[in-house]
Amino acid sequence: MSILASLRPATRSLAHIRAFSSTPVHKLYIQSNLQNDQTHPNLASPMDPNAKVYDFRSDTVTAPTDEMFDIMKSASRGDDVFQEDYNVNDLEHFVSSITGHEAGMFCASGTMSNQLGLRTHLLQPPHSVLCDHRSHVFLWEAGGISFHSQANVSPVYAHNGVHITAEEVINNIVEEDLHTAPTKVVSLENTLNGMIFPIEEIKRISDHARARGIKMHLDGARLWNAHQETGVPLSEYGRYFDSMSLCLSKGVGAPIGSILVGDAKFIRKSRHFRKLFGGGWRQAGGMAKVAKHCIENIVPTMPQTHKIARRLANELQAMGITLTFPQMTNMVFINTASAGVTINDILPALLRRNIKIGGNGTTSRLVLHHQINDEAADILLDTLKEVIAHKKSLGARPISGSEIKQDAVKAYTQ
Amino acid sequence: MAIRLLLFRGLSTYSRSSMGYLKEKVIYDMVSDTATKPTDEMFEIMKQASREDDVYHEDDSVVALERYVSELTGHEDGLFCASGTMTNQLCLRAHLTQPPHSVLLDARSHVYIHECGGLAYHSQANVTPVHAKNGIYMTAEEVANNIVGEDIHNSPTRVISIENTLNGLIMPIDEIAQISALARSRGIKMHVDGARLWNASQETGVSLKEYGQHFDSMSLCLSKGIGAPIGSILVGSRAFVAKCRHLRKLLGGGWRQAGSLAAVAHWCIENIMPSMPHTHQQAKRLAMSLEAFGCSLVYPCMTNQIWLDTTATGVSTKLLAEALAKHGIKISAGNGCTSRIVLHHQITDEAIDQFIATATALFKEYEGSKPLAITGSFNITAYATPSQ
Repeated sequence: MSILASLRPATRSLAHIRAFSSTPVHKLYIQSNLQNDQTHPNLASPMDPNAKVYDFRSDTVTAPTDEMFDIMKSASRGDDVFQEDYNVNDLEHFVSSITGHEAGMFCASGTMSNQLGLRTHLLQPPHSVLCDHRSHVFLWEAGGISFHSQANVSPVYAHNGVHITAEEVINNIVEEDLHTAPTKVVSLENTLNGMIFPIEEIKRISDHARARGIKMHLDGARLWNAHQETGVPLSEYGRYFDSMSLCLSKGVGAPIGSILVGDAKFIRKSRHFRKLFGGGWRQAGGMAKVAKHCIENIVPTMPQTHKIARRLANELQAMGITLTFPQMTNMVFINTASAGVTINDILPALLRRNIKIGGNGTTSRLVLHHQINDEAADILLDTLKEVIAHKKSLGARPISGSEIKQDAVKAYTQ
Repeated sequence: MAIRLLLFRGLSTYSRSSMGYLKEKVIYDMVSDTATKPTDEMFEIMKQASREDDVYHEDDSVVALERYVSELTGHEDGLFCASGTMTNQLCLRAHLTQPPHSVLLDARSHVYIHECGGLAYHSQANVTPVHAKNGIYMTAEEVANNIVGEDIHNSPTRVISIENTLNGLIMPIDEIAQISALARSRGIKMHVDGARLWNASQETGVSLKEYGQHFDSMSLCLSKGIGAPIGSILVGSRAFVAKCRHLRKLLGGGWRQAGSLAAVAHWCIENIMPSMPHTHQQAKRLAMSLEAFGCSLVYPCMTNQIWLDTTATGVSTKLLAEALAKHGIKISAGNGCTSRIVLHHQITDEAIDQFIATATALFKEYEGSKPLAITGSFNITAYATPSQ
């Protein structure tokens, strides 16, 4: 804590230059996700407080700028529980109209807007939700589908590794039967692990689901990225879903929030659930106005972010690192085993150069956003090159499965 | 601003249609202390805060607020959340480990009536709503008589949830101490919905820490009288708060760059809380003058709330609301006979003077009228305003 205190003056004075502070990574958040663990016990190297920090752990780290606080100050200050705030209502109107839906509701998080969307569709048990087995709503929302809606889940395996197909959905729909929890909602995620769900496939799934009276929900936390990359309008995606959840605090860059869209009756009901969830916040106008500003100003920078990600993906592969998933938008999933290094090898070197990444064993998810530039990518690449070369000079070879496990165990007992 | 309010009226599900008369600009909102608006100065404070991700628990300003409030209340740790409903329901959920189980509380409690059935929904818990005979607070004896024991038919009492202030009324510290001793002797947890505990503390002089020793968990609101734009905070032991943090994510309360909101709440506690005694004085002054016109109070005015009953005067609260609206003062028309008026730091002495002047004129005009026929139901145990 004393180190933090000593860094405070530096971070304050540089706050106007850099977009986010350089809190030393002494206690990085612990996530038990084997895919992207963010605990790093081997922290011998404090970060340079004078250098710019680049955080690749997630696009949720996008920090508000000074300008954004000025925007917040200019916003309306009504009470959103009573729907009396102009800027909140304006944001909800704006997002619902660009997505082709009747109404919207501004919430504190994507978990909230997803779970509210699903909860509102799910009328009475027994019932279930069908989704990709890697879905956020299934894996990373603390069991919300079961807890909030007492719904079963059908997690479908995507054989092509990118997205579930209409055939896979059809084959996994649970019918009405005395023994079953019938499928009432199909929940798709776009992008999922940074990968784009093709609009044609979405249409096929939607047509089928709707023919069977099944609702369609979209976890569109990063739909903005898909839309910016493919050019498919948000409203085109919107046609195929009864409800959509779009995040504002990730790549869009706002400090807090997510938004749920659907028809007016649906949103009215979900608003009641929002209160039940404790999401009925008061003077949220500032947050809403800034979110709208970010949609208008930051979303258009996404193609540029994807371009940097693409370069990163290509150059990492050139170094002998493999990609676990194809890079399509702002995420690069790497496996460093083939290059003979583990995440614990590269992490301290990156931290010394003020780059934060997540990861576990030999895998890591690199997430880019508007506060990551070419310079960041260059530093990352240079650092990795150095580490790989260094380890090679020490006789390192590509790492096999059993070795990875050992290394991980060793790392955590140090 | 008023025109924009009207334009968006169509979207309002909580139809405050009783306020359709309100076309004038509202300057003094006395419907609730949730109306407290952030000031320009507060946005400057927000700009200086840290900007890390609170889901990762890496934000200094959020941690600082949690530390500050836990120190004030004598607890180990705290959790900053989006609303009082969230902090209340999280605490109760964290205490309620496995059904069958129930919560014992005052029948008028917010956690029971105004949190959308959260106790049943989040915790599958039954509720024992106790009617406070003295009309002010539930006594230790009433609690003792209503505790549900272990029996095959029962859902035993696992938590006693106190609300202080409740409807602006203060529960005496001695009574709290007695209830707490009773609860703890029986292994029952103690929670306080302290959304307005600040008001109780400022009025009685009892420190938050002294209140805090009697409770295993506390929920304190930041967006009401404290004046912050958003938020509430719960406190408890470290393990308890860690559990709440996990549940918070489940409820969708895991927000990202919340540092600015935390910093401003911290500032508000330090700078706005000390103004509460003055707000309470204003409330008492207003209450007394209204009583002088023949109105009665449903509850005594102890802190920042006036529970007005105009039945005897023959003047409906709707008329009063309309008259006040002309001067930019907004009150709830209630059910026509009764209305809850809530004061806060953004109500000036001039506004109180204007209120009294308007009321004077109105009651004089209707002097000698027959008492109102009570048409709408006034449920004294559950005053029907949409929210705190």
